[in-house]
Amino acid sequence: MLRQLSTPRPDWQTRAHEFGFNFHTMHGEPYWDESAYYQFSLKQIEQDLEDPTAELHQMCLQVVDAVVSDDELLKRFSIPESFWQPIADSWQHRDPSLYSRLDLAYNGNGPAKLYENNADTPTSLYESGFWQWLWLEELVDNGQLPRQSDQFNSLQEKLVHRFTAIAEHYQINNMHFACCKDTDEDRGTVQYLQDCAREAGLLDKFVFIEDIGLGESGDFTDLVDQPIQSLFKLYPWEFMQREDFAPHIQAAEVNWLEPLWKSILSNKALMPMLWKLFPQHPNLLPSWFEDELHLADESKLVKKPIFSREGANISVLEKGKTILHADGPYGEEGFIYQAWYPLPQFGDNHTLIGSWLVDDQPAGISIREDKHAITQDMSRYLPHIIL
Amino acid sequence: MTIQRKRSSNINLHSMRKHFTLKPLVIGMAGVLLSACGAEKQQATVYTNENDCVSANPGHEQECRAAYKDAVAEAERTGPKYNSQRDCEYEFGASQCRQYNSSGGSFFMPFMAGYMLSSFLSPGPYHTQPMYTSYSRNSPYNSRWITADGRDYGDLRNRNLRVGQNAYKPKPAVTKTMQRGGFGSSVRAKSSWGSSSKSSWGG
Repeated sequence: MLRQLSTPRPDWQTRAHEFGFNFHTMHGEPYWDESAYYQFSLKQIEQDLEDPTAELHQMCLQVVDAVVSDDELLKRFSIPESFWQPIADSWQHRDPSLYSRLDLAYNGNGPAKLYENNADTPTSLYESGFWQWLWLEELVDNGQLPRQSDQFNSLQEKLVHRFTAIAEHYQINNMHFACCKDTDEDRGTVQYLQDCAREAGLLDKFVFIEDIGLGESGDFTDLVDQPIQSLFKLYPWEFMQREDFAPHIQAAEVNWLEPLWKSILSNKALMPMLWKLFPQHPNLLPSWFEDELHLADESKLVKKPIFSREGANISVLEKGKTILHADGPYGEEGFIYQAWYPLPQFGDNHTLIGSWLVDDQPAGISIREDKHAITQDMSRYLPHIIL
Repeated sequence: MTIQRKRSSNINLHSMRKHFTLKPLVIGMAGVLLSACGAEKQQATVYTNENDCVSANPGHEQECRAAYKDAVAEAERTGPKYNSQRDCEYEFGASQCRQYNSSGGSFFMPFMAGYMLSSFLSPGPYHTQPMYTSYSRNSPYNSRWITADGRDYGDLRNRNLRVGQNAYKPKPAVTKTMQRGGFGSSVRAKSSWGSSSKSSWGG
């Protein structure tokens, strides 16, 4: 695993505009960064990232199986009681899932360590599945990279196939897609999924989360009163389960993507549960619930809110003292603790690997770099190759 | 030796380009995949009006007129609806839209361009479905026969179709919305925190 400097394509911003990549620069800071790329060997990709990703996912599913039928655990996961049965039902029916992203710390040697599972609303999908793919094609075409360069990235192909399978499962020919207003990044991610769904033969319709209505029939509706039968929502279940329409979710009988059972995986309580079920697993970091903290003999711990996004409200504790803290609006549902395991550094950069799954199949990786030890949403996205 | 690649083998760049045509706000929804089910295909014909049907089917004048009436009623119920005349005409072409008032508000809908009718030779009762087409150069539906759910039935010049039973399934009606804004409040609450640098509610 090497960080290689690279000359950006002179016309990449024009290409970005052409393909609707509208969030390559955010808040005046570069987000997409092709001034360098990461290079992996095939062995590093397959043995250290792909295989562990498949295995970690199966372990996560075992956690779901243990939690859905256990009231005590559901409480620990801060899932509102009114959703316990619907979540159990959705798991019982094996409602199909679309995708997930595991965040891994990996430096090229030894086992990758799982930080968390973004199983409900993962972003950076477009730049992974399409944009870095196009970058590689064009750098091979212009001779900057050798012809045998490859990339661990079958995301788009797998997403299209997955939409076909989901359409058959639910016997549907259309799907609504939703995200919040005022975020180019989320809208871009959802548009990409609409593109993949359309490639799979589905008709796609878009509605903003804030515009969703409740019809007299008990259905959720879009802005023109059309009932929403199937909905991909880039909006976390933990929010929806606490908002005004929460009591109507069950009766609306929507085919949800992600399905309700994903509430258990996108929850940081997953981490101590994994450690309980699979102690000493090489890809796991020791993790504890708040009331088990006395079991931790690590001197340095990371404290994470059960619900949070992009590094908000994370603290680093050394011998019980806070030595690093990221602010944010999260934490009211409690915290979990994870053994401190720093991201590898390449020069000044702290490097995080996102490992994608489409349903239960590993589908590629994405790489984020940050100048800080806690990756925030201002980190940069870099492409990678296999050589 | 075949080379096993770890990346998507082929991405259709043409379809990834973003030259959007305006999408309808409402389209009818069929509950069942047309391709997957109703494998047994039947003959159907698209007629542009009642008389077109009558002259093609001597002795079936009554059915032709009744089917036309059914299709018109179905078009009211499930046809594509737009907020403005401009949006509708962008997709369907100049002077191809009319205003439509319902309890849900005022919309613009394209004129029904024809109606699909099952062959009178087929056993059982006849089936009908309103059909649309676009005269707009911006639209992928230009000179195509489409149903209210946007399904493409091929070139406008070809009026003889082979369709599955599901092609005639009624498209669900628009419902009346009682309340909006029941999702999204967490974002409003959390946005007020700290800097405005939040760019995603995913992760």
